[in-house]
Amino acid sequence: MLNIKIKLVPYETLKEDKFVNILKKIQEDTILLIDAKLSADEELHLIKDTMQSVNERFSGIELGSLELVSEKNGNLTKVRNAIIEKIMGKKRGLTIVGPASIIQKIKKNPRELMLYI
Amino acid sequence: MTIIIRIRRKFSSFLSRLFKKKKELKIGIYGPVNSGKTTLANRICLDWIGEELGKVSVIPHETREIQMKENVTIDKDGKSLTFNLVDTPGIATKVDFEDFVKAGLKKTTAKERAKEATKGIIEAIKWLDNMDMVLVVLDSTQDPLNQVNVTILGNLDARGIPVMIVSNKVDLKNSNTATVREIFPKYNTIGISAKNGDNMNDFYDMMLHNIG
Repeated sequence: MLNIKIKLVPYETLKEDKFVNILKKIQEDTILLIDAKLSADEELHLIKDTMQSVNERFSGIELGSLELVSEKNGNLTKVRNAIIEKIMGKKRGLTIVGPASIIQKIKKNPRELMLYI
Repeated sequence: MTIIIRIRRKFSSFLSRLFKKKKELKIGIYGPVNSGKTTLANRICLDWIGEELGKVSVIPHETREIQMKENVTIDKDGKSLTFNLVDTPGIATKVDFEDFVKAGLKKTTAKERAKEATKGIIEAIKWLDNMDMVLVVLDSTQDPLNQVNVTILGNLDARGIPVMIVSNKVDLKNSNTATVREIFPKYNTIGISAKNGDNMNDFYDMMLHNIG
């Protein structure tokens, strides 16, 4: 039987030492579902920190994120969403990140993420 | 944050123009592993200075250090552009030494290569802020909507760095530049074969048009 740990993580709980926390959990063979889209800068930071952690036992991560995009695409909607995100302190969406030794790949399309294990 | 960075860049560019300061233009080549970045760098260097920049290989992570060729000048149809061309290691979220073993390397060499590859990725990320323009090279036979591509483009956007997408390997049967354009509609995209030199004239025209 496949034994996989998946943990739902509120973005807010990652605020302190965000990347250290993510990588620590991943190295415990856990897949994380984060209830926000990491910003592009955060994703790059995570990749950089991952590379610093790679060794013979840990080959890295698979990462996939999805931004919640509104059906309405007008300027007013964009401003409203930007304000909401500013208040919430996070980008609306979803991030999946887990060990590359468990996740084969994460296939992405504009509306969904598919996890291949 | 993005707006502040953009304003800062615009202000810096304005000051540089105001004082007519001659700044060296850096054009970076970024992209995922094995998309043909060094092949493109070699093609550009061969076309305009008659010598190659780096070694290419089918084994992933052949380029593990930043490579730069200074003073490359594209001179075409009365337009000219001089820049330093920076070839970067492919960005990836994982580096497994076992992959190099599978590609035929000995275990010790594979481990060393993996170590160098991780350092190369970190260097490539650090250099991103130094670029004035970036050519994002994608393998047009692969799914363009992978996270590494999205992360690279998102970071270039956030930093206000101009981008051209190079949809490489159009000589291959399952190449699909139309999908690349469809997935990333807001960027200037050109389909080329860096290996065969297909469509390089249009590629240079687009470069000159964008920043010449």
